Amino acid sequence: MDNQRNLILAVVLSAALLFGWDFVMTRFFPQPVVAEQSQTASSGASSGVDTGIDASGAPVAQAAGPGVEAVLARDLDAELAAPGRLPINAPEIVGSINPVGARIDDIELKTHRQTVDKDSGPIRWFAPAGTDVQQFAQFGWVGDGIALPDARTQWSGTGELTQETPLTLSWDNGQGQTFILTFSIDEHYMLTVEQSVRNDSDGSIALRPYAFVNRTSLTASHSTWNVHSGPIAAIDNEVDFDWNYDEVAEEGPVNMPGRTEWVGFTDIYWMSALIADDDFAATSAFRSTGNDTYRADLLYETVSVPAGATMTRSTRLFAGAKESAVLDAYEDQGVEKFGLAIDWGWFRFIAWPMWQVLIFLFGLVGNFGVAIICLTIIIRGLMFPIAQKQFASMAQMRAVQPKMKALQERYKDDKPQLQQEMAKLYKEEKVNPLAGCLPIFIQIPIFFALYKSLLLAIEMRHEPFVLWIKDLSAPDPATILNLFGLLDFTPPGFLSIGVLAVLLGLTMWLQFKLNPAAMDPMQQQIFMIMPWVLMFVMAPFAAGLLLYWITSNLLTLGQQKYLYSRHPQLRAQAEKDAAEKARNAERKG
Amino acid sequence: MKRALILVARFWQIGPSRILPPTCRYQPSCSEYAINALDKHGAIKGGWLALKRLLRCHPWGGHGYDPVP
Repeated sequence: MDNQRNLILAVVLSAALLFGWDFVMTRFFPQPVVAEQSQTASSGASSGVDTGIDASGAPVAQAAGPGVEAVLARDLDAELAAPGRLPINAPEIVGSINPVGARIDDIELKTHRQTVDKDSGPIRWFAPAGTDVQQFAQFGWVGDGIALPDARTQWSGTGELTQETPLTLSWDNGQGQTFILTFSIDEHYMLTVEQSVRNDSDGSIALRPYAFVNRTSLTASHSTWNVHSGPIAAIDNEVDFDWNYDEVAEEGPVNMPGRTEWVGFTDIYWMSALIADDDFAATSAFRSTGNDTYRADLLYETVSVPAGATMTRSTRLFAGAKESAVLDAYEDQGVEKFGLAIDWGWFRFIAWPMWQVLIFLFGLVGNFGVAIICLTIIIRGLMFPIAQKQFASMAQMRAVQPKMKALQERYKDDKPQLQQEMAKLYKEEKVNPLAGCLPIFIQIPIFFALYKSLLLAIEMRHEPFVLWIKDLSAPDPATILNLFGLLDFTPPGFLSIGVLAVLLGLTMWLQFKLNPAAMDPMQQQIFMIMPWVLMFVMAPFAAGLLLYWITSNLLTLGQQKYLYSRHPQLRAQAEKDAAEKARNAERKG
Repeated sequence: MKRALILVARFWQIGPSRILPPTCRYQPSCSEYAINALDKHGAIKGGWLALKRLLRCHPWGGHGYDPVP
């Protein structure tokens, strides 16, 4: 009776899991939405409020005034076709600088595709203000009583920005000050902008240099409880993941206290960040500029520039993919905590080393799927002695089998007592067939670490395995219900089960069947259901994660087969037990 | 803190532990031990005791009756 109630409970729970799962998945594990919007669409555009810092430095939302653009929807292609743009052509970045406002507002990441399709274009990361994929950086000054360049300033300069050739823009304000911006770029995603003002007037001037990135949040990836997307800053040697776009919009301007190392916006895979000049203290702020656009400011102190002097601040702009090796290299070059821009979270101490192993294996074998399989083999290999020991213990157990039978007979109506007596028996005979909690426990962080790596690591984005699996970081595309995409419909969330998920269920079911641990009939029944529940649960996860689990199951199966062959008496025992259980079940039924 | 940790152990007991094969070599089980230890000794000492227990619950470790001190 009790068993039956438990079974019903298990079925009900499984059903709840199945249907609740879809809800939870969409709520807490949304698929990464990357800024991959069509480049021609031009609806729902937004403004590009670009000045709004008063001389005291407190960012204020400015009403209409010089330098504030009207809310205007703009077409990306038309914007980029505007004459006079100065091209950027670097190994990983292609784009242009807008001489109006001296904005870096056109960056495409050459080495990353929009989708898994080989013909899909490069990732558009920066785009001009007012377009629906808006993101740009601008460098400027605030000060009183001086004509300053703003968003409409026409800067003069010519040339092309490449790794070898920097590009200089200048603007003379007609009052004796010359503003000069010198752009240079490296082989990855880092631009350096030297922002100078030369004071040729008779008196000294007070100016405060600043820089900002302004982007729309509409193309941002979703922030989830375990991967942050949105405002990001490194302040006083700590990376701040606390703010989300909507929180910034609600709270108004958010001034970050402390010395800012870098500040910007991050997606799961991409980031734009302004890195402060090493030699000068800077602060930062986030704020909403309306119409779902947000701005991250980097502000230096106000400096007095005497007559005849030049003031220069050298700010770096990172605009690109968060490749861990690249970020770490920048960190080695002095950008504090840049590697932590990848939100590894609490599990960093386990996720990061595992990630390093995976990257190393990838370097050896050249395919991330195979690398994951190698990783699984290594982990199972490390766990093998545990299984071996467990089987050896079970073989020893056979010696005490008669005593156990006697105990079971004696306490068959008093389960807690039976357990205690069994424990006592194990103690006396110095055997215990159980492997312990530690072996299971240490596998949880490994699994979670892999899950997180597949979610975070751009290195695994669009990485194929074999056959139909073209992207290990995405769910298995071969959904069975629509005959692998042959039928023209998308099965609803929880029914979109891929081939890998079915393989997972199958291998797990086989593994449970061979599991040597003694179980009561109730557990036995749960074990027959569990694999199929997990099939549904795991289907929406990254293919790489399922690949790990399936490989792990197969290796465990092989290991059990092997160990049974080493201990034939155990196999006989297991078969006998199974037959007995079947008989019992029949009698009951 | 203490409550949060106990909750984690409870969650383990009603969640994953139910659907995994029995593993623990000790009485009381590791999760029960953790709950008792946290309750009795607080988050820091209790957590340390629970961790130590977990670290000896493997095939080469001990087994049998092992209550919270």
